[in-house]
Amino acid sequence: MEDAGVEIIAISPDPNERSQGLADRLDASYRFLTDRDLEVSRRVGLVHAGAGPEGQDVPKPASILIDRDGVVRWAKYASNIQARPDPAEILTAVRAL
Amino acid sequence: MQPMPRGLALAALVLSLGTVAAFAILLNVFMWPLPPVVYLGVLLAAVALAAMAVAQRRRWLPIISLVVSVAVLGLGGFFHFVAARVPVTPTAFVIGRPAPEFTLPDSAGRTVSLADYRGRKPVLLVFYRGYW
Repeated sequence: MEDAGVEIIAISPDPNERSQGLADRLDASYRFLTDRDLEVSRRVGLVHAGAGPEGQDVPKPASILIDRDGVVRWAKYASNIQARPDPAEILTAVRAL
Repeated sequence: MQPMPRGLALAALVLSLGTVAAFAILLNVFMWPLPPVVYLGVLLAAVALAAMAVAQRRRWLPIISLVVSVAVLGLGGFFHFVAARVPVTPTAFVIGRPAPEFTLPDSAGRTVSLADYRGRKPVLLVFYRGYW
Protein backbone atom coordinates (compact mmCIF):
# COMPACT_ATOMS: atom_id res chain seq x y z
CA MET A 1 0.00 0.00 0.00
CA GLU A 2 2.92 2.26 0.90
CA ASP A 3 4.61 1.66 -2.47
CA ALA A 4 1.35 2.31 -4.26
CA GLY A 5 1.46 5.76 -2.69
CA VAL A 6 -1.89 5.43 -0.98
CA GLU A 7 -2.49 7.32 2.25
CA ILE A 8 -4.33 5.15 4.72
CA ILE A 9 -6.54 7.12 7.08
CA ALA A 10 -8.14 5.27 9.97
CA ILE A 11 -11.14 6.96 11.59
CA SER A 12 -12.72 6.02 14.91
CA PRO A 13 -14.11 7.69 18.02
CA ASP A 14 -10.98 6.63 19.92
CA PRO A 15 -9.33 9.63 21.57
CA ASN A 16 -5.99 10.79 20.19
CA GLU A 17 -3.82 9.22 22.89
CA ARG A 18 -5.35 5.83 22.31
CA SER A 19 -4.96 6.08 18.55
CA GLN A 20 -1.34 7.12 18.91
CA GLY A 21 -0.73 4.09 21.10
CA LEU A 22 -2.32 1.95 18.42
CA ALA A 23 -0.19 3.53 15.72
CA ASP A 24 2.98 2.94 17.72
CA ARG A 25 1.95 -0.63 18.48
CA LEU A 26 1.17 -1.48 14.86
CA ASP A 27 4.20 0.41 13.59
CA ALA A 28 1.81 1.84 11.08
CA SER A 29 2.60 4.70 8.79
CA TYR A 30 -1.01 5.55 8.47
CA ARG A 31 -2.85 8.36 10.11
CA PHE A 32 -5.36 7.92 12.85
CA LEU A 33 -8.07 10.55 12.98
CA THR A 34 -10.41 10.95 15.93
CA ASP A 35 -14.10 11.40 15.23
CA ARG A 36 -14.84 12.06 18.88
CA ASP A 37 -18.58 12.66 18.78
CA LEU A 38 -19.08 10.60 15.60
CA GLU A 39 -20.00 13.86 13.85
CA VAL A 40 -18.35 12.90 10.57
CA SER A 41 -19.37 9.24 10.77
CA ARG A 42 -22.96 10.32 11.30
CA ARG A 43 -22.84 12.79 8.43
CA VAL A 44 -21.63 10.16 5.96
CA GLY A 45 -24.10 7.54 7.17
CA LEU A 46 -21.68 5.22 8.97
CA VAL A 47 -23.14 5.10 12.48
CA HIS A 48 -24.74 2.04 14.06
CA ALA A 49 -27.12 3.51 16.62
CA GLY A 50 -26.93 2.02 20.10
CA ALA A 51 -24.78 -0.93 19.04
CA GLY A 52 -21.90 -0.26 21.42
CA PRO A 53 -21.26 -2.32 24.58
CA GLU A 54 -22.80 0.44 26.74
CA GLY A 55 -25.58 1.16 24.30
CA GLN A 56 -23.68 4.03 22.72
CA ASP A 57 -23.58 4.78 19.01
CA VAL A 58 -20.60 3.22 17.25
CA PRO A 59 -19.15 3.54 13.73
CA LYS A 60 -19.96 0.94 11.10
CA PRO A 61 -16.75 -0.66 9.80
CA ALA A 62 -16.07 0.42 6.23
CA SER A 63 -13.20 0.87 3.77
CA ILE A 64 -13.45 3.54 1.08
CA LEU A 65 -10.92 4.15 -1.68
CA ILE A 66 -10.78 7.73 -3.03
CA ASP A 67 -8.62 8.66 -6.00
CA ARG A 68 -6.41 11.73 -6.45
CA ASP A 69 -9.33 13.68 -7.86
CA GLY A 70 -11.37 13.07 -4.72
CA VAL A 71 -13.72 10.61 -6.44
CA VAL A 72 -14.93 7.47 -4.66
CA ARG A 73 -13.69 4.46 -6.64
CA TRP A 74 -14.29 1.48 -4.32
CA ALA A 75 -16.11 0.83 -1.07
CA LYS A 76 -16.57 -2.16 1.21
CA TYR A 77 -19.04 -2.18 4.08
CA ALA A 78 -18.81 -4.87 6.74
CA SER A 79 -22.06 -6.69 7.53
CA ASN A 80 -20.46 -8.13 10.64
CA ILE A 81 -18.24 -6.34 13.19
CA GLN A 82 -15.76 -9.22 13.07
CA ALA A 83 -14.95 -8.58 9.42
CA ARG A 84 -11.52 -7.09 8.80
CA PRO A 85 -10.47 -5.24 5.63
CA ASP A 86 -8.99 -7.68 3.13
CA PRO A 87 -5.60 -6.36 1.97
CA ALA A 88 -5.69 -8.36 -1.28
CA GLU A 89 -9.06 -6.95 -2.22
CA ILE A 90 -7.92 -3.43 -1.41
CA LEU A 91 -4.72 -3.78 -3.44
CA THR A 92 -6.75 -4.92 -6.42
CA ALA A 93 -8.89 -1.82 -6.10
CA VAL A 94 -5.80 0.40 -5.76
CA ARG A 95 -4.20 -1.09 -8.86
CA ALA A 96 -7.39 -0.40 -10.79
CA LEU A 97 -7.09 3.34 -10.13
CA MET B 1 -11.90 -49.86 21.44
CA GLN B 2 -14.00 -46.85 22.28
CA PRO B 3 -12.40 -43.70 23.67
CA MET B 4 -13.10 -43.19 27.39
CA PRO B 5 -16.23 -41.11 27.90
CA ARG B 6 -14.41 -39.11 30.57
CA GLY B 7 -11.64 -38.24 28.13
CA LEU B 8 -14.17 -37.17 25.52
CA ALA B 9 -16.09 -35.11 28.06
CA LEU B 10 -12.94 -33.38 29.29
CA ALA B 11 -11.79 -32.73 25.74
CA ALA B 12 -15.17 -31.17 24.98
CA LEU B 13 -14.91 -28.92 28.04
CA VAL B 14 -11.34 -27.91 27.20
CA LEU B 15 -12.30 -27.09 23.63
CA SER B 16 -15.38 -25.06 24.46
CA LEU B 17 -14.04 -23.18 27.50
CA GLY B 18 -10.63 -22.91 25.90
CA THR B 19 -12.18 -21.30 22.85
CA VAL B 20 -13.88 -18.68 25.00
CA ALA B 21 -10.60 -17.94 26.76
CA ALA B 22 -8.64 -17.86 23.52
CA PHE B 23 -11.20 -15.52 21.95
CA ALA B 24 -10.96 -13.09 24.86
CA ILE B 25 -7.17 -13.21 25.15
CA LEU B 26 -6.43 -12.92 21.45
CA LEU B 27 -8.79 -10.00 21.15
CA ASN B 28 -7.80 -8.02 24.24
CA VAL B 29 -4.08 -8.72 24.31
CA PHE B 30 -3.12 -9.18 20.69
CA MET B 31 -6.05 -7.34 19.13
CA TRP B 32 -6.51 -10.28 16.80
CA PRO B 33 -10.05 -11.50 16.31
CA LEU B 34 -10.62 -15.22 15.96
CA PRO B 35 -12.34 -15.87 12.62
CA PRO B 36 -15.90 -17.10 13.15
CA VAL B 37 -15.34 -20.18 11.00
CA VAL B 38 -12.55 -21.17 13.41
CA TYR B 39 -14.30 -20.68 16.71
CA LEU B 40 -17.68 -21.95 15.55
CA GLY B 41 -15.98 -25.01 14.04
CA VAL B 42 -14.12 -25.78 17.26
CA LEU B 43 -17.28 -25.30 19.32
CA LEU B 44 -19.16 -27.68 17.02
CA ALA B 45 -16.39 -30.23 17.49
CA ALA B 46 -16.70 -29.81 21.25
CA VAL B 47 -20.42 -30.55 21.08
CA ALA B 48 -19.72 -33.62 18.96
CA LEU B 49 -17.19 -34.95 21.45
CA ALA B 50 -19.53 -34.30 24.37
CA ALA B 51 -22.38 -36.02 22.54
CA MET B 52 -20.16 -39.03 21.94
CA ALA B 53 -19.29 -39.08 25.64
CA VAL B 54 -22.93 -38.97 26.68
CA ALA B 55 -23.77 -41.68 24.15
CA GLN B 56 -21.24 -43.93 25.86
CA ARG B 57 -21.99 -43.12 29.47
CA ARG B 58 -24.79 -40.99 30.83
CA ARG B 59 -22.96 -39.73 33.91
CA TRP B 60 -22.55 -36.26 35.37
CA LEU B 61 -19.28 -35.35 33.67
CA PRO B 62 -20.36 -36.20 30.11
CA ILE B 63 -23.72 -34.55 30.70
CA ILE B 64 -22.16 -31.38 32.09
CA SER B 65 -19.71 -31.30 29.20
CA LEU B 66 -22.63 -31.54 26.76
CA VAL B 67 -24.62 -28.81 28.49
CA VAL B 68 -21.60 -26.49 28.63
CA SER B 69 -20.56 -27.20 25.02
CA VAL B 70 -24.06 -26.61 23.69
CA ALA B 71 -24.42 -23.45 25.76
CA VAL B 72 -21.10 -22.05 24.56
CA LEU B 73 -21.92 -22.97 20.96
CA GLY B 74 -25.26 -21.25 21.37
CA LEU B 75 -23.57 -18.12 22.73
CA GLY B 76 -21.01 -18.17 19.96
CA GLY B 77 -23.69 -18.61 17.34
CA PHE B 78 -25.78 -15.83 18.82
CA PHE B 79 -22.78 -13.53 18.90
CA HIS B 80 -21.81 -14.19 15.30
CA PHE B 81 -25.21 -14.38 13.67
CA VAL B 82 -27.09 -11.82 15.75
CA ALA B 83 -25.09 -9.53 18.03
CA ALA B 84 -22.18 -8.91 15.66
CA ARG B 85 -24.30 -8.07 12.62
CA VAL B 86 -24.19 -4.59 11.13
CA PRO B 87 -27.02 -3.35 8.91
CA VAL B 88 -25.65 -2.11 5.59
CA THR B 89 -27.39 1.08 4.52
CA PRO B 90 -26.56 3.74 1.90
CA THR B 91 -23.80 6.17 2.78
CA ALA B 92 -22.54 9.48 1.43
CA PHE B 93 -19.83 7.61 -0.48
CA VAL B 94 -21.06 6.84 -3.99
CA ILE B 95 -18.81 5.10 -6.54
CA GLY B 96 -17.95 7.56 -9.28
CA ARG B 97 -19.02 10.63 -7.28
CA PRO B 98 -16.83 13.00 -5.28
CA ALA B 99 -16.32 11.98 -1.68
CA PRO B 100 -17.82 14.25 0.97
CA GLU B 101 -15.36 16.66 2.50
CA PHE B 102 -14.45 16.48 6.19
CA THR B 103 -11.81 17.63 8.67
CA LEU B 104 -10.72 15.73 11.78
CA PRO B 105 -7.79 15.87 14.23
CA ASP B 106 -5.05 13.24 14.01
CA SER B 107 -3.35 11.52 16.95
CA ALA B 108 -0.89 14.41 17.26
CA GLY B 109 -3.67 16.97 17.34
CA ARG B 110 -3.15 18.34 13.84
CA THR B 111 -6.26 18.82 11.72
CA VAL B 112 -6.44 16.75 8.56
CA SER B 113 -8.83 17.33 5.67
CA LEU B 114 -9.64 15.00 2.82
CA ALA B 115 -9.00 17.99 0.53
CA ASP B 116 -5.34 17.96 1.65
CA TYR B 117 -4.83 14.94 -0.59
CA ARG B 118 -6.59 16.27 -3.68
CA GLY B 119 -4.17 16.19 -6.60
CA ARG B 120 -1.55 14.47 -4.41
CA LYS B 121 -2.34 10.86 -3.62
CA PRO B 122 -5.23 8.41 -3.34
CA VAL B 123 -6.69 7.86 0.11
CA LEU B 124 -8.00 4.71 1.74
CA LEU B 125 -10.45 5.65 4.48
CA VAL B 126 -10.93 2.95 7.09
CA PHE B 127 -13.80 3.56 9.49
CA TYR B 128 -13.51 1.27 12.49
CA ARG B 129 -15.19 0.88 15.86
CA GLY B 130 -12.15 1.50 18.02
CA TYR B 131 -12.75 0.30 21.56
CA TRP B 132 -14.74 -2.88 22.04
